[in-house]
Amino acid sequence: MKKIFQIALGIVTSVGGFLEIGSITTAAQAGASFGYQLVWSIVLGTVCIAFLVEMSGRFAAVSKHTIPDAMRERFGINFYVVPLFILLGVSLLVLGAELGGVAAALEMATEIALPVWAIPVALLSWGLLWRASFSVIENGVSILGLVTIAFAVGAVRLHPDYGALLHGVVPTLPRRDASHYWFVAVSVLGASISPYLYYFYSSGAIEEKWDETYLAANRMIAAIGMSFGGFLSVAVLVLAAILFHPHNIDVDKYQQLPDLLTPILGRAGFWLVIASLGIACLGATLEISLALAYLIAQGLGWNWGEDLEPRDDARFSLTYTLIVVAAMLFVLIGLDPLKLTEISMALTAASLPVGVFPFLILMNDKKYLQTHTNGYLGNAVVLVISLISAVLAIVSIPLEIVGS
Amino acid sequence: MHLVADVLDEELLDKTGNRAGRVDGIVLEVRDGKPPRITHVEVSPITLLARLNRRLAERYARWDRRLGKGRGVPFRIPWGQLEQTGKAWRFDTDAEDTPIRALEDWLRVKIVERIPGG
Repeated sequence: MKKIFQIALGIVTSVGGFLEIGSITTAAQAGASFGYQLVWSIVLGTVCIAFLVEMSGRFAAVSKHTIPDAMRERFGINFYVVPLFILLGVSLLVLGAELGGVAAALEMATEIALPVWAIPVALLSWGLLWRASFSVIENGVSILGLVTIAFAVGAVRLHPDYGALLHGVVPTLPRRDASHYWFVAVSVLGASISPYLYYFYSSGAIEEKWDETYLAANRMIAAIGMSFGGFLSVAVLVLAAILFHPHNIDVDKYQQLPDLLTPILGRAGFWLVIASLGIACLGATLEISLALAYLIAQGLGWNWGEDLEPRDDARFSLTYTLIVVAAMLFVLIGLDPLKLTEISMALTAASLPVGVFPFLILMNDKKYLQTHTNGYLGNAVVLVISLISAVLAIVSIPLEIVGS
Repeated sequence: MHLVADVLDEELLDKTGNRAGRVDGIVLEVRDGKPPRITHVEVSPITLLARLNRRLAERYARWDRRLGKGRGVPFRIPWGQLEQTGKAWRFDTDAEDTPIRALEDWLRVKIVERIPGG
């Protein structure tokens, strides 16, 4: 019974925590600019992150190591600093976008300018990290994030053309605006396959003391939770494809996001988008801040643990404090969260192999996983999707910059 | 045993079982006509930084020296005090009695305990 409850909770939190500013805005941009044609990028991204999350949980449950832990041990400090600095740099931009997402939701709710919210949002996030336990952060905010199901309700009520939607699952070449098409595709992939997500997941599994009895639960949480999460991204794309695409409206301002639900649900739709954006981005802010602090603390062998009092892991606590402050600066100086999202998601896609390749080597190391190493399918899926994403990103980012 | 694969960068646990850093360096004694012998392992940001950039390590050591007597040099654990448990290495001292957590303690006293809820 306890296991069933854990599986259900894991699935619910995966669904509630799936959407964040990256997945919402990139899916909306994909639908608005290209109708259903880019559904395949959400499907590819979701399949890849489901595999990565399953691997990450399996790795922690069997080896009792987190990914950063094992990366330092297996490859040494001279290698470890490369993914460390790249992931830190890219994820800080993503964190700035998430924190900006919460501030943007508050701006739309109160009409008080976005930069004004930078310090209160950073304080709220830091206060939760400082005082709340791991399960409050992992489960509490994600359960509130179930409000994002509103996007699926809205999409169903618009009666989409399911045949055309299914056609979008098959990748096709762009019919127009090729460089923008590929840029949006890699942004969607970057938003779905966020390295912080599977790094965070392995630390969470250690925080919750998983062992091999959790392997089946882990597989179900990764498969079902991530699939439903992917459906929510598709729902956002559908809304934009029906409401924006026919009128040639591109999504280039976060203020357009409430228009995804207001035509269907009226004033309630506006508040549902605000709540979805605010809660989803707050959840992501907490997870990314912790993931980055885990990355540093575990690699350097510090004391770490969200369930410890800050005085018992002073370096770890001060690290996430500095990370939140650094991300807050992006919002405080007035950077547009949407622009920051676009850049950071594309850079995430470009840097995917840096985090994924060493992780795959670990997942095939019998010293850590004994009989639970990866199969050919898992290796191939993750390797191919992350390589495609990185190549597309490296090609499309300069083209998008030149084009714009 | 492979020193780089099985010792270097592995986790250290103190005698209470708490995390006590990682093996940042290995000290070998070179002997005439005999194979080299491990004498100590080092646990210190100075050793870690020296593996990346010697200048950074020297700078950190200068700052660390200001924190008290005996500081500014890497902390060494005699090889004979280490015992392998799983992939980690355990040593027979409480980390609180060593400089391993000096920075952690300094940050706790100077900053964390002064913040509400710390």
